[in-house]
Amino acid sequence: MAAPAFLNTLERSGLSTWIRESESAFAYYFVLVIHNIGLALLVGACGVLGARLLGFVPELPLAPLRRYFRFIWAGFWLNVVSGVFLLIAYPTKALTNPVFYIKLVLIAVGVVVLRRIERQMPHDAAARDASPAVERSLALWMLGLWLGVLTAGRALAYTATYILYGKGT
Amino acid sequence: MNFDHLHLLLNHVPIIGFFVGVGLFLASFTGTNDDLRRSALIIFAAVALLTIPTFVSGVGADRAIAREPGISEALVRRHEGAAMLGLWFVEATGAAALMALWRSRRAGGTPRATLAAVLLLAIIAAILMGRTGNTGGDIRHPQPGTAAGTAITEGTVGSIIHTFEPSPDRFTDLMVVNKWWWASMMVTHFVGLSLIIGVVGAINLRIMGFAKELPFGPLHRLLPLAMVGLGLNVLTGMLAFIGMPAYYAADIAFWFKLAALMLLGLNAAVFYLTGIFHRVERLGPGEDAALSAKIVAASSLVLWFTVIISGRYIQHFEDSLRF
Repeated sequence: MAAPAFLNTLERSGLSTWIRESESAFAYYFVLVIHNIGLALLVGACGVLGARLLGFVPELPLAPLRRYFRFIWAGFWLNVVSGVFLLIAYPTKALTNPVFYIKLVLIAVGVVVLRRIERQMPHDAAARDASPAVERSLALWMLGLWLGVLTAGRALAYTATYILYGKGT
Repeated sequence: MNFDHLHLLLNHVPIIGFFVGVGLFLASFTGTNDDLRRSALIIFAAVALLTIPTFVSGVGADRAIAREPGISEALVRRHEGAAMLGLWFVEATGAAALMALWRSRRAGGTPRATLAAVLLLAIIAAILMGRTGNTGGDIRHPQPGTAAGTAITEGTVGSIIHTFEPSPDRFTDLMVVNKWWWASMMVTHFVGLSLIIGVVGAINLRIMGFAKELPFGPLHRLLPLAMVGLGLNVLTGMLAFIGMPAYYAADIAFWFKLAALMLLGLNAAVFYLTGIFHRVERLGPGEDAALSAKIVAASSLVLWFTVIISGRYIQHFEDSLRF
């Protein structure tokens, strides 16, 4: 299969080459560090939220956990931006790998689930008894989907057919 | 960097630590001596943490002394095999000790089965640490029958233990022979990281004043989730190290990560053992923690992110150390 030529053009661009080939500690591995911190914020906060929604610590009030969505969305946007930089560095590697598209789909569904949970979260402690709690199944979807995103992301390092344009593994 | 000296400095900790720990733990069963038992459990957990740099510095020491004349390769490999077996029992004892400490806070105290598990694991670990120390000592000071170039003769105990000891090179090969095994270890390491940062982050941020409406007690009851994450990451981290020992030992970012982990052990000790925990434990919704607690919480967060960042930089700093 011939990969589209624009991948080659993108790979030869100054930014792509710099991220990939610079010896600086603030090039490729810095972007990976940011991506990792974003993952820690998003999946970490989802883990705590999910544990509460699944009933691990029922005595923990749910309403204040709403504030954790700040970290979830901060982690998400950090990873959108750092993810774009990683894509610029290795466009062929990602775009010729089906796992990359699976990851994107999982992220899209994961965002929908997160937004639904955020809407169902009670706004203040008083509403705790009155309003129905967040659906348990949503919590399971959230944990499963973001675990899937994490796994797919890690798998990208081991499943690539091409590393660079015209250069197989 | 002189790993030989670092290893010689650290290697007494697991051996003496476990001998003293087992002694105190056994003594705590005469009557009901809870303080003694608690001390023994804390020693097991602390030694389990310090055993990680002890094990890891051994690889550095191995490469440093390999150049010296009169060092028997077979004796070094035997010591490595002994360490590779003992490591898991030390870490398992540490994990069981933390579980026992956690459950001692409940009404009725620690279940007998947990205490029995700690005792059994600690005794096995102490014996294996003794064996590791003996085989390590033989490298520099060979006994008759273990001199360089001659076949190793084992005593009765040594020969029994030796049948369970892995061959270091085969263990290493096993970790890296299949890329899917390696990939699944890395995925697990990232899942563990998320569990730790999520729970530890939530607890520390609450102390620092974020989402203050959360009562501290229930939030802190999530800690076992972080401990599961820590257990997963010590396991996958050490397996990865065994898979590529020379790679990690020659990497400055790896040592930086280990140093941060040791400081986190110190941080946890300050938090739980100096009374800070007892003061934040009863914090209800909206209540503010003391400044000392906030400082300890903030340093824990900084250290955990240091662990993540330096871990991610390991690849970048490949071959950054010479020894």
